[in-house]
Amino acid sequence: MGQFIAGLLLLLALMIPPVATLMESVMIIHMHMQMPMLIIAGFFMGRFFLDRFPQFFKKYNQNGLPGILLFTIIMVYWMLPRTMDEALTVQTVEAFKFISLPFLAGVPLRDSWKKLNKVGRNNLITLFAVMFIGFGWLYIQSNAQLCNNYLVIDQIILGWGFITMAICLVIYLAYSLLVDPSQYE
Amino acid sequence: MQTALKTTSIKQKTNQALGVNLEDARISKSYLAVAFIAVLLGGLLGLVQGLNRAGVLTLPAWANYYQVLTAHGLLLVVVFSAFFTIGYFYAGLSHTLGGLLPKVRKIAWVGFWTKIVGFVLVVIPVLMNEASVMYTFYPPMAAHPMFYFGLVLIVLGVWALSVGAFMQVAHWRKNHKGQHLPIMAFFATGVFILLVGATAFVAVEVLFLIIPWVLGWTDGINVMLSRTLFWAFGHTAVNIWYLTAVSAWYVVIPKIIGGHRWSDLLTRMVVIPLVIMNITGGFHHQIVDPAISEGIKYMHVFMSLAIGFPSLMTAYALFRVFERTARQKGGTGFIGWFKKMPWGDVRFLSPFIAMVAFIPAGAGGIVQSTNQLDQVVHNTMWIVGHFHLTLGMSVVMTFFGISYWLIPYLSKRVLTPNMNKVGVVQTIIWTVGMVIMAISMHIAGLFGSPRRTSFTTYGDFAEQLGWNPLMAAVGIGATLLLIAVILQVYAVFNMMFFAPKGETEFPIAEEEPGAAKTPYWTERWGVWVVLMLLVISMAYVIPIVDMIVNAPPGSPPFKTW
Ligand code: HEM
Ligand SMILES: [Cu+2]
Repeated sequence: MGQFIAGLLLLLALMIPPVATLMESVMIIHMHMQMPMLIIAGFFMGRFFLDRFPQFFKKYNQNGLPGILLFTIIMVYWMLPRTMDEALTVQTVEAFKFISLPFLAGVPLRDSWKKLNKVGRNNLITLFAVMFIGFGWLYIQSNAQLCNNYLVIDQIILGWGFITMAICLVIYLAYSLLVDPSQYE
Repeated sequence: MQTALKTTSIKQKTNQALGVNLEDARISKSYLAVAFIAVLLGGLLGLVQGLNRAGVLTLPAWANYYQVLTAHGLLLVVVFSAFFTIGYFYAGLSHTLGGLLPKVRKIAWVGFWTKIVGFVLVVIPVLMNEASVMYTFYPPMAAHPMFYFGLVLIVLGVWALSVGAFMQVAHWRKNHKGQHLPIMAFFATGVFILLVGATAFVAVEVLFLIIPWVLGWTDGINVMLSRTLFWAFGHTAVNIWYLTAVSAWYVVIPKIIGGHRWSDLLTRMVVIPLVIMNITGGFHHQIVDPAISEGIKYMHVFMSLAIGFPSLMTAYALFRVFERTARQKGGTGFIGWFKKMPWGDVRFLSPFIAMVAFIPAGAGGIVQSTNQLDQVVHNTMWIVGHFHLTLGMSVVMTFFGISYWLIPYLSKRVLTPNMNKVGVVQTIIWTVGMVIMAISMHIAGLFGSPRRTSFTTYGDFAEQLGWNPLMAAVGIGATLLLIAVILQVYAVFNMMFFAPKGETEFPIAEEEPGAAKTPYWTERWGVWVVLMLLVISMAYVIPIVDMIVNAPPGSPPFKTW
């Protein structure tokens, strides 16, 4: 229950209008801070749902893959410039953002992550590293303004944010491939 | 191969039986000797500055104030602190991980000479007054190219030493599967990771921005980008010296007062967040800089204060250890236990005062992290007062306290009661001098006296003349400090070469009996490093991309002195 409350409080804090407005005023903070924090909120709240409806997760997310698929779809959806823009202009889309990221990405991630083995996890990270490079390239090289709400410089910053994240993921992958924990643990 | 294996294991056994390994000791002693020579020279220049600013000393025609200031800053924050930290942690690694591996020893020597050669290359242009750019070497001030080549070598030396430390730690972990790294080696790992992270930024600044520019290959330099890269390094460097001091507070001091280490988990949980969050703190040195939007500066206040949190945990943990130990020795009452502390032991007294100094020093740091307050004190003598508290007291007095057991341990000699007395007197003089100097600097700064400015009466302008009594006090403090420096350096070389022979222990406190087992995830250094990189990229991507994409044409080099 403690974790559920912590996640809920985080979600509520992120929903406070001045906080949301501040975070959404900068493109990269909107995408790379607000959205991950929403997922983290869902991740924490997930504990409650997993305890409450174990049958449901057992039935529909037996090996973790359906959950990961849902998580990935939600993630990709929110990485598109169009959807970010809409969240700022259309109220229902904004509401959908605050529901989908915690409950349709955070919760399934929690259930699925522990069901994946090491190879599955690293494959997921590889997938995201590749996607981040792709999105980074998209945002950096686009000369046109992709969102009504954000300037071109915001896009370029976001693009480099994707690239640096991708670099971190690649470093993590290299670390987990090259270093064999069984030699140390 | 067989014989080689055997000799190492025999070596390890002799190491344990006979105390310090002589070859490892030579490495640490060399680093410490350089460190204390730097203190002597740096202290002398500090006195020159103090007397100049007090208005009693006019520099001779062949030296200018900024040249002296450059040398003082470099000798004390770059040479002294780095050489001490490396000497101390290499001794710690050798002691707790069963002796250095032969190849690590070689690396330590290569690193030593690379750093020394680099330092000589830095010093030559400084002496020729071709590099009076101060230790921050902010572009568009440009020094002689040799200065920057020297810096590159110093960084390469640091990298060599870090690789050596990582190899030593990896080797130990392979042979001690599932065990926790001994706490001293844990601190060392954190420190060397931060050293690599910090110097990477300054390496990029020097290699890609400054060197092509001073050699004339590019016409302009991106000033804001260079400053940002510099402070990622400068801030972290200072925090590394602080973390080094903290390692002694947690690990060594409890042993010296005859107590136990408190929570191993908490100690490791101080090191890990400091490693993850440290580098981004560099932005608090740029609160008054242009080209960083206010929103970003605002967010970085949180990062700076987040680094303050582990310091609060430290304060709590240490005072708890003190109280427990003193009560076990029969101290009673709310304050009474205080009397039971070994005040006459320099190995305790000096670092204790260092810890107390961190209370006002930390409070000053919070003041400076606050935008409006920083506007008042930025670039004034207040700042100089602040870092003589943090570095000149918290860090340096801990290092001095360490020297009274580390050097006898390394040279197989003992700390005599007489030398202990010298140490106590030295500690008191240093404390009085630093307190006088730092307080007057803080006040002078509040009235607007600028830092990095040689003595002037501003045409006898009344307001500015009001600073003079305070600056005279700085001169008095500086004089006392030099006396303490001389005592300290005398003590160091006496303990290294002349003190009576004998065995001195490397004091490492045990955990409290019945302490809970530390969870194994604290050992996942790979994960901490990736988290550190993530935090760094989140913090730097906005301002740096902005500074590059919206860059002005860039500045040509200037020689302002
Ligand atoms: C012997 C004792 C010392 C004395 C008398 C002394 C005195 C001074 C003075 C008067 C200044 C110049 C202020 C200005 O004009 O801006 C200064 C600057 C400085 N001191 Fe010290 N100091 C001493 C020890 C230390 C120690 C132990 C450290 C660090 C480990 C240190 C680090 C610095 C740094 C980094 C600067 C700033 C240089 C710059 O602005 O470029 N000092 N010191
Ligand atoms: Cu700092």
